[in-house]
Amino acid sequence: MSSPSKIVLTRAPLPVVAGFRWSVGEMMERFIKALAERRILGVRCPQCGYVYVPPRWRCGRCYAPPGEENIAELSGKGTLLSYTAAAVEIDGAGNFKELSSPKTLGAIKLEGAGSTIFMPLGEVKPGDLKVGMAVEVVWREETKGELADIKYFKPAKGSAEILSPKAPRRR
Amino acid sequence: MRNVAVIGCGQTKHSGKRRDVNLAEMVGDAVWNALEDAGVAPEEVDAFTVGNMQGFGGVAQPEQWLAEWIGASGKPVLRITTGGSTGASVVHGAYYAVASGLYDIAVATGWEKHSDSKEPGATTGLTHVGLGNTVNQVNCGASLRHLLSMMIVGAAAGVACYQAMYYMHRSGCRIEHLDMVAAKDRRNAAKNKYAHLQWPGCTPEDIARTELVAYPFRFGHICPASDGASALVLASEDVARKRCPKPVWIRGLAAYSDEENQIMSEGGGGIGILDASQQVGATMSAIKAYRMAGIKDPRKEIDLAELYQPFPSQELIFAERIGLFEEGKAWMALERGETDIDGRMPCDVSGGVNATNAIGSSALQRILECALQIRGKAEEHQVPKEVHHAVATAWGGATNYFAVTVLSDSL
Amino acid sequence: MPYIKEKRKETLSLEGNWEISASTTWKDSPLLQEYALGLKEKKIIGSLCPGCGKVIVPPRNICGRCHRRMDERAEVSDIGTVTCFVISAPFEKGKMKLFGVDPVDLGLVKEGERVISVYVKFDGADSNVDTELVGAKPEEVYVGMRVKAVWAENRGGKLSDLEAVEPLKE
Repeated sequence: MSSPSKIVLTRAPLPVVAGFRWSVGEMMERFIKALAERRILGVRCPQCGYVYVPPRWRCGRCYAPPGEENIAELSGKGTLLSYTAAAVEIDGAGNFKELSSPKTLGAIKLEGAGSTIFMPLGEVKPGDLKVGMAVEVVWREETKGELADIKYFKPAKGSAEILSPKAPRRR
Repeated sequence: MRNVAVIGCGQTKHSGKRRDVNLAEMVGDAVWNALEDAGVAPEEVDAFTVGNMQGFGGVAQPEQWLAEWIGASGKPVLRITTGGSTGASVVHGAYYAVASGLYDIAVATGWEKHSDSKEPGATTGLTHVGLGNTVNQVNCGASLRHLLSMMIVGAAAGVACYQAMYYMHRSGCRIEHLDMVAAKDRRNAAKNKYAHLQWPGCTPEDIARTELVAYPFRFGHICPASDGASALVLASEDVARKRCPKPVWIRGLAAYSDEENQIMSEGGGGIGILDASQQVGATMSAIKAYRMAGIKDPRKEIDLAELYQPFPSQELIFAERIGLFEEGKAWMALERGETDIDGRMPCDVSGGVNATNAIGSSALQRILECALQIRGKAEEHQVPKEVHHAVATAWGGATNYFAVTVLSDSL
Repeated sequence: MPYIKEKRKETLSLEGNWEISASTTWKDSPLLQEYALGLKEKKIIGSLCPGCGKVIVPPRNICGRCHRRMDERAEVSDIGTVTCFVISAPFEKGKMKLFGVDPVDLGLVKEGERVISVYVKFDGADSNVDTELVGAKPEEVYVGMRVKAVWAENRGGKLSDLEAVEPLKE
């Protein structure tokens, strides 16, 4: 027989944070460690020929396991397939934060790769970005074997064709 | 409605830390093992059901990541989660898909990757499940001392502790019997190459030497938090008879959810169940499943049981609930050796959930183990007698979900 | 413990945090607050189901078995029976953390103390109340023990107004 006169919302009395650490598996580990040597690795499926960046334990199209022997290094140059510029960011509690300058993100198809990667873009104004332009990787000053070793991609001199049939260099 | 059979089983090794793989690789492992066992190519699978306790591993919608890793590209995928009974619900979902006539071959997979959470065991998941209730209690002025007295049970086993005490008081079962069950489970698990806590030759005295956490549970009674995945391939009668030399038929299945049965209901209210070991859902779903399977006297007709028992008391409680032993007498049957691997009613010869608990996978493994035993493929932990009918149970949710599956070697 | 251990490779991990407390709010429960207000007057209140006649303590909106709304209230006795109990291991410093703090350090419990958590069915109720048993040694507890509520001296309409239960002195 009670009805609330007002709804009260409460937060937890003490900070409660659930921490996670997701193990990445062997293929992804090789990719991350190779970043320390400024190398971007991909894997080529021997059955259907699709090249994945980062490398995967099993092809998502034909389900064959590529195996470590099919891992190959990519050139670090690619084509910008799409991009966007974000004016706001979201913090961990659901609030919008205005950015002082827009953050640009691009979908990049590296030379020889089948899949695209999503990376920050730098050294370029959002207005100068064009779909199809050639881009290349810029590494962090000191690489540590982390995903953040790839600082961003910048416009490259010279050209890199979209859907290049050039096979990745094998190491 | 069509008949449905299990035509393939697949598991990964379950252990405390599978840090050698990421989530998709681990689940993929189980699914590819199952497809290989069934002799089915991924293109031939029509539908997938997947499930786990997503909060525990910190991946909110894992089916979105997994789809192409388990061969589900271009196929319908349904995620089903029902707490601890997730594994069985996932199999039931695949059963519905095939029995309805809509699909011919369905794959069901369940998994858990606890080690991705920084806190030990299942604490991360329980934090976000129990936190709301705790905040509510604190807001209404609960003392820290009261929270502490609630936590000593929560820390050990939640309501399972109370459940065990009810059973022990009612039936005369003693803590020594819990030692016996736990020892049997870990001894059996040593013969199961996929199980987690493998202690060859474990004795009740070994378990009795472990530390008491909260009476009546010792440290050696409590199930582990495992990483692992398992999968089953289900097929319609047509496909099963053509493709599988020994299909295992799912003859009966039922699930029953009851009033939530934790220490208090969400919002702090009371629960209208005075005896936590009553578990009406278990009896109701067993009755329905047996009727569907044509089993009139489970004590005589069931050859083997895989019960969902994260705690040893639950093996005894649930075995009675589903009619395998007389009320209050399961612990006596245990003393007589009836539940041993070579006994009259072998229970959890795989080691059960007490030895291996990757939550999303554990209920599925109960059905999987029954199928292996019926086919005679359980290798080192195969029971010596012929297995014609087996029953698998699953328990979970706010200890109020129950699912029973009856498998058989004939229709 | 001599479990078989297997060695597996430990690959790199990516880390992330879910800030549960920062990103979530909960609605208060008016029913539990009503119950707490009753405790101030030394009254233990439950909700009565018009269908099966059960009295659920603390009150709830809907009966769990017959699904009817339980709008009526009923008061139950503050004397009841222990239907179940669980006894902790002796508390030690550093053994357990409650929300990140050590309960022995905090003075919540003494070193070596064993906490007896009991389910009490107060006379007239059809549900258990989870509370603590004081005034009895662990060996003395048994199912069926008659107990009486221990009320806090200064009650303010909080759950802690019902401090614990103690053995009923006949």
